[in-house]
Amino acid sequence: MRDVYVAGIGITTFTRLEFALSEIASYASMMALKDAGITEVDQVYVANMGAARVNHQTALASAVVDSLSLTPAGAASIENGPASGGSAIKAGFQAVASGMDDVVLVVGVERMREVNGLEATDFVATLTHPIAEYIYGVTLPAHAAMFTRLYMDKYGVTERHLAMVGVKNQNAALNNVWAHLQQEISLEGILDSPEAMTNNPYVAEPLRFFDACPVSDGGAAIILVSKEKAKELGRPLIKITGVGQATDTHAVHEREEPTDLLAVRKAAADAFAMAGLTPQDVDVAELHDAFTILEIVESEEVGFFPKGEGHIALEKGETALGGKIPINVGGGLKGRGHPVGATGVAQAWEIVTQLRGDGGKRQVDGARVGFTCNFGGFGNNVVCLTFEKEA
Amino acid sequence: MAREIYAYRCRLCDTMHYPFRMVCKNCKKNDFFEFDTVPLPKDGTLLTFTRVYNLPAQYEVATLGLGIVELENGMRMLGQLEIDDPKAGMAVKGSVEVVRKETYDDFYGMVFRSA
Repeated sequence: MRDVYVAGIGITTFTRLEFALSEIASYASMMALKDAGITEVDQVYVANMGAARVNHQTALASAVVDSLSLTPAGAASIENGPASGGSAIKAGFQAVASGMDDVVLVVGVERMREVNGLEATDFVATLTHPIAEYIYGVTLPAHAAMFTRLYMDKYGVTERHLAMVGVKNQNAALNNVWAHLQQEISLEGILDSPEAMTNNPYVAEPLRFFDACPVSDGGAAIILVSKEKAKELGRPLIKITGVGQATDTHAVHEREEPTDLLAVRKAAADAFAMAGLTPQDVDVAELHDAFTILEIVESEEVGFFPKGEGHIALEKGETALGGKIPINVGGGLKGRGHPVGATGVAQAWEIVTQLRGDGGKRQVDGARVGFTCNFGGFGNNVVCLTFEKEA
Repeated sequence: MAREIYAYRCRLCDTMHYPFRMVCKNCKKNDFFEFDTVPLPKDGTLLTFTRVYNLPAQYEVATLGLGIVELENGMRMLGQLEIDDPKAGMAVKGSVEVVRKETYDDFYGMVFRSA
């Protein structure tokens, strides 16, 4: 297997964007191509979940490759729910590692603000089991809420811990100009003050408004290249060293232990094993905090902390910038926003930014090893990646 | 006739499944449709629950109660809750009713109430 490097990165602002879906994808891609200093690629992978349903467009990759005048390069769309981004990076990795392609553009994109909030919620809910979940009106917040209640009862996680994740990540987004949310929040405002219930109502008990990521439009892109090409391009050598992907039951109720996220555990373990790393080697991590509870649980399942102790590490500040293992220093999904197909690629964008030392106010000092966890479904399809900076 | 929701029992190893799947998760050996259908029990205890305030399109109610119930045979299922003050561990009883209405279709599923 050949080594695979990230030679270029690009991103759009995550917000409501009044551009066509393929233009959003192209914008992020152009930035990545410029960053790498190339104008031609062998293959394009476009990660997206909702083009067909939300934007009435299919075969998105054909539109994007042509918009970028990259034809006749190969192009394919990858729809894998919220794990589309990580899955597309894995496909790009395999293409370069196999020796089949030397330069691959991976771009994730979503434009879900084209429809109203009710329809966006319904669109995301279509990833649930059609007969055993979807028809009941289950939403992703509902799944996360039922999971949270079990976690609270079993491990002593409280609404305060959830709010602490929300405050940490949303305020971290203030250091990221591309992030969707640019509003400082405090525990007082969303939890402790008499107005907190008005500011921060329940969306699905016990989860509140500020426990959930915003609905965003946006795109993110990375260029994957062989070692030879990476040296020729002369950009900082950031290598993808571990790739892990795992799945779990489609219907959440079928899982033997309902507080486990086994796909996260296995995907992370596989990525670390492939890289020859341990979770303790990681300097900066991007976890999939679509809901605040997920950052806590994933920090345990990927191996940063023992099961049931993620919220204690959070209390001690170990997951904040300057802590033992800074998580989501660019805002995470909570602060940066969550255009579902783009998120996995945006996580890679943040890690490469950090490993290059370009993080500005949110830079983790001396970051050399980065980790991403892209969580699809309600934990039924997960992609984890490790990134390392070469001296 | 009372409406039922069915579990699927593998004809080779007796493992029960809900919802339907093509290959048994235990023995992985069954051929096409080698399952017997068995009605799911309707009594159980509430494992976890939520009340949802931002509903998907098509629901014309303000909020919706949802929960996962451990049925008396040990299987679990998700259903709607018609319970004002749900508590984990409480006894519930299900009945099969319309859980979602679309323009031309009614969808039936399990609705749980306090037992």
